[in-house]
Amino acid sequence: MDETILLAVIAYCLAGIVISVLFLLFGIARADHAAKGAGIAFRLTILPGLIFLWPIILGRWLSGRQINQDIHAGDNS
Amino acid sequence: MGHQYQAIQWNKNKVQYDIAIALFALLYTGVFVVTGLQPSETGNTPDPVVLLIRAFGTCSFLLLTFILMIGPLARLSDRFKPMLYNRRHFGVFTFLLATAHFGLALMWYHGFGPLNPFVSLFVSNQPGGTFPGFPFEVLGLAAFIIMLFMAITSHDFWLNNLSAPVWKALHMMVYVAYGLLVIHIAAGALLTEKSPLYPALVLFAFLIVAGLHLLTGLRERGHDRLRRALEDKGWVSVSAPQDIPDKRAVIVPLRDGERVAVFRDGNKVSAVTNVCRHQNGPLGEGRVVDGCITCPWHGWQYRMEDGISPPPFTEKIATYNLKLMNGMIFLDPVANAPGTKVDPVLFDQSVQRASENTEATVS
Ligand code: HEM
Ligand code: FES
Repeated sequence: MDETILLAVIAYCLAGIVISVLFLLFGIARADHAAKGAGIAFRLTILPGLIFLWPIILGRWLSGRQINQDIHAGDNS
Repeated sequence: MGHQYQAIQWNKNKVQYDIAIALFALLYTGVFVVTGLQPSETGNTPDPVVLLIRAFGTCSFLLLTFILMIGPLARLSDRFKPMLYNRRHFGVFTFLLATAHFGLALMWYHGFGPLNPFVSLFVSNQPGGTFPGFPFEVLGLAAFIIMLFMAITSHDFWLNNLSAPVWKALHMMVYVAYGLLVIHIAAGALLTEKSPLYPALVLFAFLIVAGLHLLTGLRERGHDRLRRALEDKGWVSVSAPQDIPDKRAVIVPLRDGERVAVFRDGNKVSAVTNVCRHQNGPLGEGRVVDGCITCPWHGWQYRMEDGISPPPFTEKIATYNLKLMNGMIFLDPVANAPGTKVDPVLFDQSVQRASENTEATVS
């Protein structure tokens, strides 16, 4: 086993942290309307997943695809 | 697709279950460590850290076993259905316990050497390593990684954004993880020379989980065959009994233009023709009053169970036969002679309507 693999994993996760924070701040509300106006606790809940699965989410973000358009911000009934 | 996201979906029921699980884990770990610290006949007591590692590991495995039993149990009996809606929280607990086990084991067995702990984990099964022989820790790690990905994608956001099929495929990996863990524990216990109790218990748990899945699988195949046989004979599926509003009916059109009113009164369901004897009023738009179907037009009444007007009246309408299968009501399109008594279909009312449950249960 080589330490370089470990370093690669760490680098991947560091990139994940950067992309995730950017996505949570600027991308998520457009990509998934159910996240519009959702609280900081929700954002922290999905953060671990974002850090590991960031390539999928980055692809989604760049593609401009949106889901859950029928949900309006503040509609928390 | 529902509402704006929240961090964690809690309701009273879920909070109760979560508290129960947390208390169980706390109690289990406490008892495990305290009893383990009692000096044995040989005089050597295990290190408390090792006891904690074992306590967290076994507790996590127990919880996972329990989670995997919920699915088949809920299909065998509606009583277990509420647990289905708490599986997600159980799963995250299981993962947290596994993390404690993994973290402590990594620190304790691999944290003090010259190697990076993760590197040490992969080489420790070589001769001269901490656990020479079978690499049971690597299997544990593989299972842990699967559970990690399940835990971090457990929020609805991931169900929506990964798409349901991908999400479900990912979460079906739990069975792979379970298999890996069975070997991890059996082999680990053998290597660390503990009592054969561990492999025996793990095998027992595994057999229960596998047996339950086999049982429900066979049962469902039987049900499917029966349902197909019913449909071949022309029976019509109506709806889940819970989806009929209480004291009301759903109207089922038959192929020959006939209409049938399927009424629900509490936990009883009966079917009669939709046509009132008086002036052909639409019975299915009426209500059940005192156990009698009451026509919306002029109030004529018929008993649910036999379609006969309560005394002193003697009017009769046709009844139909029903069957409840897999939570679905089936209707025999062949009418009984007017006034034929048919025992109502009974169902368990405590089971909620699917639509009343906000949590996604892709299972
Ligand atoms: C989902 C994850 C895991 C579960 C549920 C789990 C569960 C268990 C169980 C029930 C035991 C048996 C107790 C015993 O033999 O002492 C055990 C032993 C052990 N596991 Fe895990 N395990 C997991 C992952 C891991 C990982 C990733 C490692 C890697 C460091 C690991 C390291 C160990 C070690 C070193 C033992 C032997 C401990 C001892 O006897 O002192 N486990 N595990
Ligand atoms: S048509 Fe039913 S009561 Fe008159």
